[in-house]
Amino acid sequence: MATEQQTKTGDGEDQQPLGLTVASAAVAAAVIVPLLWLVKSALDVGFSEAVALVTRPTTVEVFLNSTVLVVLVTAACVALGVPLAYLTVRTDLPFKRFWTIIIALPLVIPSYIGAFAFVSAFGPRGVFQRLLEPLGVESLPEIYGLPGAVLVLTLYTYPYVFITTRAALKSMDTTLIDAARTLNHTRWEAFKRVTIPQIRPAVAAGALLAALYALSDFGTPAIMKFDAFTRVIYVEFGSFGRDTATLLSLQLVAVTLLILTLESQIRGDERTTTGGRSGSVMRLGRWKYPAIGFAALVAAVALVVPLGILLTWFAEGVAETSQSLAFQPEYAFNSVLVAAATAGAATVAGLPVAYLAARHPSRVSSVFERSTYVGYAVPGVVLGLALVFFGSSYATPIYQTLYLLVFAYVIRFLPQAVGSLRASFLRVDPALPEAARTLGETPSGAFRHVTLPLVAPGLFGGAALVFLTTMKELPATLLLRPAGFKTLVTHIWTAYAAGYFGQAAVPALILLFVSGLSMLVIITQEGYDVK
Amino acid sequence: MQDHDREPRGHGRRRFIAATAALGLGSLAGCTGLGGEEETTTEAEGGEPVQQIGSGRSPFGDREITGGVSISEMPELSGELTLYSGRGEALVGELISFFEEYYDDFTIRPRYNSATELVNQILTEGENSPADVFFSVNAGSLGALKDEGRTQSLPTDVLDLVRDEFHDPDGQWTGTSGRARTVPFNTDQFADSDIPDDIMAFPETEAFRDNIGWAPTYSSFQAFITAMRVLEGEEATKEWLQGMQDLGVTEFNDEFLVSQAVADGEIGAGFANHYYIQRILAGRSEAPLGTAFTAGDAGSIFNVAGALVLDTADDSDLATNFVRHLLSAEAQDYFARTTFEYPLVSGVDPIGELPPIDELNPPEGLDLTQLADLEGTVRLLREVGVL
Repeated sequence: MATEQQTKTGDGEDQQPLGLTVASAAVAAAVIVPLLWLVKSALDVGFSEAVALVTRPTTVEVFLNSTVLVVLVTAACVALGVPLAYLTVRTDLPFKRFWTIIIALPLVIPSYIGAFAFVSAFGPRGVFQRLLEPLGVESLPEIYGLPGAVLVLTLYTYPYVFITTRAALKSMDTTLIDAARTLNHTRWEAFKRVTIPQIRPAVAAGALLAALYALSDFGTPAIMKFDAFTRVIYVEFGSFGRDTATLLSLQLVAVTLLILTLESQIRGDERTTTGGRSGSVMRLGRWKYPAIGFAALVAAVALVVPLGILLTWFAEGVAETSQSLAFQPEYAFNSVLVAAATAGAATVAGLPVAYLAARHPSRVSSVFERSTYVGYAVPGVVLGLALVFFGSSYATPIYQTLYLLVFAYVIRFLPQAVGSLRASFLRVDPALPEAARTLGETPSGAFRHVTLPLVAPGLFGGAALVFLTTMKELPATLLLRPAGFKTLVTHIWTAYAAGYFGQAAVPALILLFVSGLSMLVIITQEGYDVK
Repeated sequence: MQDHDREPRGHGRRRFIAATAALGLGSLAGCTGLGGEEETTTEAEGGEPVQQIGSGRSPFGDREITGGVSISEMPELSGELTLYSGRGEALVGELISFFEEYYDDFTIRPRYNSATELVNQILTEGENSPADVFFSVNAGSLGALKDEGRTQSLPTDVLDLVRDEFHDPDGQWTGTSGRARTVPFNTDQFADSDIPDDIMAFPETEAFRDNIGWAPTYSSFQAFITAMRVLEGEEATKEWLQGMQDLGVTEFNDEFLVSQAVADGEIGAGFANHYYIQRILAGRSEAPLGTAFTAGDAGSIFNVAGALVLDTADDSDLATNFVRHLLSAEAQDYFARTTFEYPLVSGVDPIGELPPIDELNPPEGLDLTQLADLEGTVRLLREVGVL
């Protein structure tokens, strides 16, 4: 593995520090252990049936479908996320801060709402077709199937790549580029030879999140009628084929491990860099307007379509319905509460794992880091059931309490914190805390006073990502929430499932608003950046 | 939310207290029943009907409760009950909170999710399940829990509240409301007489070419196909599914969306449970949406939503009496008015543009528990490429 190569830190005591290793191991174990339930239930299926199931043609087809979906979504996310990040960090794009927020904002929209909106808008006889009808447009190109699934998943996951790449670009040392330019490299060559290697780990980290999201998302393939793994698992669960579903989930975990391995290849030759000095900015010149147009187009497609549909629902309102659908502010409070708790817990749990992986790369630290990703790629309903089993069997006091719910979220979203923390640690020059040590700081003092402030943007960015995605999570919430505990998404689900779209609009809009605010937090926290 | 609720609720409680007081005095029996004649037979209880639960208003007009057994004649509920509800909160939440408000010393801890996910959850929780009562949208998931041996028998006086065909033959669960399979059709495109009354004739009906919809991942649809397997055999079902695909059937995620698409004219007809049509009509009475029935076949099965008491129930009596309350006249009336389902207790009629239950033609000799075998159906749906 490429990560095995030791990063030179010049620090005498960097043989796997014991405390840190134990802490990472504990986090990794906590995240993995509930998933052993999958193994247990898969063993219940029986060998011959298991083999028959895994090798049957539909399973193979589903496997191929999922692969194609993940590859296309990941490629498209990189193709959108990296240029947009570059535009908003390294060029003189006007209103950069505005564009940064707008471009990151699609992340606040749950992909199932996005998928639904696109189907309503562009499906046969959807809103769009009806608008165009007077112009003689009889039908629109088919949105269902692979194209629709790729489109929607890309639009709502490219911000992962955008955000991680941005963070890397921001803390990158631009004097290197200037140096390359003085050596007569063209801009493109300078980008290729200096920038790309420096941002590659961050791009890979973002792409990994996007890929695993695409693999585990249920809503989009279901709404787009595309047979990915998750849809088949859902159908099995829905017909009481619980054992078969868990077996398929194990297959999904295997695919996840494959993706994790692939990513560590791509991540490649990592280097810790000196803290960034962001100096010169690329002038766009006459490319300014195409650049704005590109950013505006992506944001408009991703944001305007679902917002438009939600507002339509809102306007069509609120037919007379059961009063239990009346919205209560408490739901928003509950969402924020669990999301904030999860963001905090995931950051704390992620710190030792990320630090160990970045500073003391070895097979062991990499295994710990990678294992935090497994829960992220398991569909929410599978993870939910695994925790139902563990909670009701071994942790009855916290079963169906907020503690177990937050634990579930941490398992699910920890990699978002780990990924961005690890990328941040990699960008801190080890010479800096070392200098603090020579000035008399203790190791933990050096960490707190030197390293931590330097990684603060990554830390807040990761926490905000976890916050956002927790706000949107549905399947595990439904299985694990305490009785009577309602959040924005459970309310949206309740209203939507009953067909009362009007009632789903209000909480959905509030969800977007609150998540949008946390996006603002990410952007302001970037002020923390090293100047 | 309070405005609509407060009046009947306050009324109910006050009346209940009055009734209890009357019982205490022992001799004040015979106070006039507001609701109907049957009250006179229960004077010893001093009961009066609780009146309508919820707003009392219906888009299809107002009415009085006439038949059935009133809540006030049922054993009181007290203590704490954990309810796993596969029925949506939007539809039954009001009813649940009504019971809670009606009894001072009664708390319900409801957990809402899809019925199958709750079945999976209960099975995964095993003996540690906190669930007392499971309330479900279909006989299939009730049967699944019964098959796993996770249920308790209900007493005969509860089972006797509904007709034999609407509860489990072994008394492990009871239906609480009914749902008929129907063919929603667009009245601009079709007349009622254009819709075949034999479900097996649909694939050969050219008028439906590229103009009909279904929701194959939806559990009611799967129950319908299960019924077809039972009634017509695997081969015929396979041919039917193949035929429908050749005809060009459009797939939807659920039957509300099927009905919606029919109302919008996106498709001319579809397969859906009856209440989706009523729910759309309640919102837009002008929609060109009609209800057609097939006769005596899988297309006309009458499934039930129902409830059962789990083997893990802390207090079996409380759980049983809660199920009994779901069969009270008031709850039955609630289902008719609010969820547009068929009440199962005789004397409480359906509402809206629906024929009474006796005029339906469900297939004879089909036991609802036979509809629990969804796995075989899913396998078949896969085989022919529907799923």
